[in-house]
Amino acid sequence: MLRASIEYHGRDGDLRALTEGSKIGDAGIPHGERLVAFAEAAVAGDSAQLATARDELRAALGPEGVVDAAGVIGNFQRMVRIADGTGIQIDGAVRALSEDFRADIGLEEFSTRRGEGLGPVARALAPVARGAALALLRVAGNRSRKKKPS
Amino acid sequence: MPAFDYSASTDPIRADLADEHRRAWRHIAAAGTWLTGAERVAVADETRRARECALCAERKLALSPFAVEGEHDGAGTLPAAMVDEIHRVTTDAKRLTRAWFDSLIAGGLAVERYVEALGVAVLVISIDEFHHAMGLPPEPLPQPEPGEPSRRRPAGVEKGSAWVPMLDPKKADPADRAIVAGPGGRSAEVLRALSLVPEEVRAWVELSSAQYLTPEKMAGMKTDRALDRSQIELVAGRVSALNECFY
Repeated sequence: MLRASIEYHGRDGDLRALTEGSKIGDAGIPHGERLVAFAEAAVAGDSAQLATARDELRAALGPEGVVDAAGVIGNFQRMVRIADGTGIQIDGAVRALSEDFRADIGLEEFSTRRGEGLGPVARALAPVARGAALALLRVAGNRSRKKKPS
Repeated sequence: MPAFDYSASTDPIRADLADEHRRAWRHIAAAGTWLTGAERVAVADETRRARECALCAERKLALSPFAVEGEHDGAGTLPAAMVDEIHRVTTDAKRLTRAWFDSLIAGGLAVERYVEALGVAVLVISIDEFHHAMGLPPEPLPQPEPGEPSRRRPAGVEKGSAWVPMLDPKKADPADRAIVAGPGGRSAEVLRALSLVPEEVRAWVELSSAQYLTPEKMAGMKTDRALDRSQIELVAGRVSALNECFY
């Protein structure tokens, strides 16, 4: 979804931020570095580091941004445990749309990896599906930006 | 003082978040599908105890969490298998295995109770982690409500590629199908993960709608939040990656 949203917003995002974190900088996303630092501090559990990250995020995005980010952190601390606790496998469509970068940024190395990769037919069709999906997102994003009042 | 009174928070917390947190607490306190209200609140309590459990801390440091024997620092109110489930899910979920899951079920933990306990535990984790990120103390757990579990096993549940049986939306009753099928009728694996106990899916969708996005907003790219979608997904993706979530 990160890649899809980057395309939608017409940004030049860097997906390595997912696995390499704040050393990638803002990853092409407004205040990305502070958002990642806040997420990292919350997961690490260091109260002082977390308070600093929260203050810096508040200075950048306001209190509403802090609350939204904290909500997302709480939500995904839950989602990962649902996935890991039930042994679900990744959806075929998600795999097809993400297969080209999963290995590059290290997702295939995770211990939670389950299930097989795409079959030969799906692997052949995946680049076409990916290209079409990303193009549609770019068009939708462009239209949305044009509609916004200046 | 009402539950989830955020009036003293430095950062104003949206009313819909407070409402959904209260709703989650009521859901936990009430009799569920396979667990009583008292058992569900005991699951919530165990979820918090896991953070301070010496065995969990030792296992987390071990090369294999299954090489360390011992007893969890639990309250002693739930069966040992369920306590092990809750503690491992809370503290070291990324190293859970199919063999471990199978051993719990073979040892007598009903898979329906496993799924419901997981549903309750992750609600508590989600809200506690929100409080932690905001610098707020954890909310006191609710008092259990009386009542008997409904023991309703939904139609259309099948064994598949996941460890737990899940609803096949094509074979489910319309009410259950509506819970697990997103906009357009599509159903993601993660949405079906807890579907052996549909009420737990409903609870996580409701909480997700406030903490992340509603199903309708998930399907699109526009948000009504202070963060745009790419900012939201950057946080979501980084948290997932830190937890080594392949999904």
